[in-house]
Amino acid sequence: MAEEELRPAWSQSFTPEAIQQLDAVGPFAKITPAWAWGRSTGKGLRVAVVDSGIEHDHPAVGRSVKGGVIVEYDSRAKDYYRIRPDDKPVDVSGHGTACAGIIHSIAPEAEIYSVRVLGRNMSGRAIQFAAGLDWAIEHDIQVVNLSLSTSLEEFFGIFHDLADQAYFKSMNLVSAVNNIPEPSYPSLYSSVISVAAHDGHDPFTYYYNPKPPVEFGAPGIDVEVAWNQKQYLVCTGNSFAAPHIAGITTLIRAKHPELTPFQVKTVLMACAANTHRRAN
Amino acid sequence: MTSDQDSQEHKLAEQLKRLLLSIEASGQTVLSGSSDALLDSIVEAAARIFGAGAASILLVNEDEQVLEFRVAYGPAGKKLVGTKYPLDKGIAGYVVMTGQPIATSQVSKDARWDREFAESTGYVPESILATPLLSGDRIIGVMEVLDKIDATSFGIQDMELLGMFARQAALAIDQSEQVRKIEEALILGLKRLASSDLKQDSSEILSVLEDASHERAGMPDLLELARLFGEISELGESERRACIQILGVFANLRRPSARRFG
Repeated sequence: MAEEELRPAWSQSFTPEAIQQLDAVGPFAKITPAWAWGRSTGKGLRVAVVDSGIEHDHPAVGRSVKGGVIVEYDSRAKDYYRIRPDDKPVDVSGHGTACAGIIHSIAPEAEIYSVRVLGRNMSGRAIQFAAGLDWAIEHDIQVVNLSLSTSLEEFFGIFHDLADQAYFKSMNLVSAVNNIPEPSYPSLYSSVISVAAHDGHDPFTYYYNPKPPVEFGAPGIDVEVAWNQKQYLVCTGNSFAAPHIAGITTLIRAKHPELTPFQVKTVLMACAANTHRRAN
Repeated sequence: MTSDQDSQEHKLAEQLKRLLLSIEASGQTVLSGSSDALLDSIVEAAARIFGAGAASILLVNEDEQVLEFRVAYGPAGKKLVGTKYPLDKGIAGYVVMTGQPIATSQVSKDARWDREFAESTGYVPESILATPLLSGDRIIGVMEVLDKIDATSFGIQDMELLGMFARQAALAIDQSEQVRKIEEALILGLKRLASSDLKQDSSEILSVLEDASHERAGMPDLLELARLFGEISELGESERRACIQILGVFANLRRPSARRFG
C-alpha cells in the first residue's frame, strides 16, 4: 500500500510559526477594524445558533435570546424530522450556550435564536442539523453559527445546496471545522466562513489562512465559556472559535448592511491580525 | 517539559497517526476474538501516548438511558468497569448529546455533576478530553482521557489524535457487535435445522443477515449462507448432520470460553 500523505491538522495553520503574513493593498488597505466594526453592537441583526439549545436566562447571554425552535428526529415523519417552537430555550448540554455567550459578548445587541438540533438521539443528527439550517434560511436570519458538522458523504449535496441557498439570501454561515482532520460539511464549502482554533485570548484577534479550506483562526483553546445551569467551564475546541468570528461578522453586517456575504469575507480578511495594510 | 521531550512526543504522535491511518486505509481493524482485550489495549495506549493519568471507554445503553464503562485504565481502573453514568450528565453526556469532542480543564472547580460523580469513584480528574465513538451517524459511546500529566489541559492536537483512536475503537466495537449478531443468526438457524421444521419462516434470520451485510461491507457472503441453509435443510440426514457439526465448531470457536485470542 502506498503510504498515505498526512493532511495537516486544521488548527496547525494558526500556530505562531505557521501564520503567514499577508498584505492588503489598494482599496483593501483602507479597510480597518475601526471602519469595519468600530462602535457596532450588532443591533438589528438576527443570529441563529444551530446547536444543543441555549440557556436563555444564563447571565452570559443577557436578554439576547429571543426564541427559537427544536428540531427532532422522527423516523415516522415524512422528512424524518419535526420542528416545534422553543420560546424560552434551554440547553441540553452547554455547547450552544457556550457559543451564544461568545457571540453575545462580542455583539451585545444582536438578537440570538436557538435552533436546537442536538439532543438525546443516537442517530439522525445529520438530518436534524440540515433541517435546522433550513429553518434558519427560511426565517430571516443574517448570521448562522454552526459549531458542528457532519462527515457523512451522503449529506455533501444536501448541505452544499443549503449553503448555496443561504449565500443567495445574503446570509453568512460561520462554521467550525471538525476537530479531527477529515472532510466535514458544511465547513469546507467556499461560501461558508470556516474557523479553527488558535491559542490567543483576545476576542478580536483572528488570523486569515491563505491556504484554504480553513480560512480563519480565532480563540478556541482554554477559553472560559458559559455552560448550562449558569456555570462556566474552561474549554478547548474549534467549536468555540467559530462564534468569535460569527460575533465579528454580526458587528460588520450590522454596521454595513449593504455588504454581501463575499464582501463580508473580504472585510474579515482585510482586518485579520496577520494582514498588513500598505499604502500602494 | 523540555523542547527535546516535546519533539520526541511530537514524533511519536506523528508515527502513531501514520500507523492508525494506514491500518484504516487498508480496511483492517486489529479485531480479534476478544474485543475487550483490544479496547483495553487501546485505552492503555491512549493514556500513555497522551501522557494522561487515566483513560476509559463508555458505551451507550439506549434502553436504560445510561453510559456504561466498558474498559478503564488508571487509578480507578477496573473498579469503574460496569459503572453506569446517566446519559444526560457530565462531560461524557455532553459528548453523546452533541456528537462533538471536548477538552476541558478545572473539572474539579466547575462541572458540578462530574465532580460529584468523580468523588463517588474516589478519583477526581483536573482535565478531561472526550470524543464520541461513531458508527456512521449513530453515537455508540465516548472515549475519554483524563488528567494530562505535565500540562493543565489537553490541546487541539490531542483532540485530533484521540479522534483517530476513537475511530479504531468504534470499528472494533462495531465489528464485535456484528459478530454477535452473526452468532445469533447462526445459532437460530442451527436450532431450526435441528428441529427440521422446514415450514418455519426464515425471514427473521434473513433480516438479521441483511442488516449485517448492509452495515458492513464484506458480509454479503452471509446471505449466500442463508440461502445454503435452505438447500441444506432439504438434503439427507447425514449431510445435514455434517453441516451442523461444521457450523457447531464455528459457533464454539466464537464463544468466550473457547476464544483463541483471549
